[in-house]
Amino acid sequence: MTSPVATLLAYARTNHPRSVVGIEEARRLDPERFDAYANLLLGWAMQVLGDRAIARTVDAFVEFTTDVNMAQGRYEASGSYEHKSYRECYEAVYADKGAMDDYLWGVYLTNFLWVHHLDLSAFFETRFVAKLPAKAALIEIAPGHGGWGLLALHRRSDARLDGFDISPSSIEIARALATAAGVSDRARYELRDALDLTSHPPGVADACICNFLVEHLEEPDKLFEVIHHVLAPGGKAFVSGALTAAQVDHIFELRRESELVMLAERHGMRVLETLSVSPQRTLPRARFLPRSMSLIVQKRTREDW
Amino acid sequence: MSTMDELTSVFQQVFDDDELIVTRTTSAADVDGWDSLTHVSLMLVIEKRFGIRFKSAQVASLKNVGELADLIETLPRK
Repeated sequence: MTSPVATLLAYARTNHPRSVVGIEEARRLDPERFDAYANLLLGWAMQVLGDRAIARTVDAFVEFTTDVNMAQGRYEASGSYEHKSYRECYEAVYADKGAMDDYLWGVYLTNFLWVHHLDLSAFFETRFVAKLPAKAALIEIAPGHGGWGLLALHRRSDARLDGFDISPSSIEIARALATAAGVSDRARYELRDALDLTSHPPGVADACICNFLVEHLEEPDKLFEVIHHVLAPGGKAFVSGALTAAQVDHIFELRRESELVMLAERHGMRVLETLSVSPQRTLPRARFLPRSMSLIVQKRTREDW
Repeated sequence: MSTMDELTSVFQQVFDDDELIVTRTTSAADVDGWDSLTHVSLMLVIEKRFGIRFKSAQVASLKNVGELADLIETLPRK
């Protein structure tokens, strides 16, 4: 039987020859890890989407990556992100269910097709998920496709997760993938603006996951207030953000790694570990290096701890 | 200058090759270095040259220069 990875590569070579260079490069740099993540995530997607899974997700990935690179090119020319408000992004992307579905499936594949995100996936798994306390209660803020939290549940059969996302597409896809991953009895997703979670019972989460939301917000401080609110004292969070990395719905421009660190510290968190990664290839003569950064933070139990 | 002549000029600029001539059937298989990142650079230069703006979905699926030329003709000029 042909593996999901082999099917993906064959499809990409035939239908997206311009994108094959980057995909094959990602695999060449760390074939074992690439294949492990790819077969796992694609396997879930194939259960959700059936025979059309590879075509649907790879087409969506190519369109998403093109969109990101076009946005980065415009950012290079203008020096600032194109959109500045949630309202603009809503009209450009979020209001269109079909576009949101494609967007989420495209992003889902970046967890292994972008080699720097493959590094983040490994960082997440080895440095965060593996160290979760027994029977951890997780909250995932803006899970999007749900892949990050589902990976945690897949690796830790004693953990359970509540996910909150403002997007109906997200809830639909995350629930379907949870069923495919065999963890739907431990994963609950609710359509809700995660920034409203300050009205959620405080301190209920042993750990929190929030990947690539901060740059979509007009006021990122609110996100860290929420993380601090839901975490139990001593609880940990895995938070990721994009730096000088444009996308049609990125509105808050982070330029330095220290900005994310300071956001966390300002809101009662101790930064335990960080990883900042960048793509192998950038646009020619780029002035901005697009980066993705993850932090593992811990809610302080005392002022100076 | 025709659209195809303009496109040849853009390709020569982006790929830094004065000898490069594109036709309607030219695809990524025919041009060394025409990968996803170069494709984006190409599209951004074309946007500027023609005074148009692409949607990502339009340019991600282009199979060859002919499809690109046809797309350019359908877009409003600024």
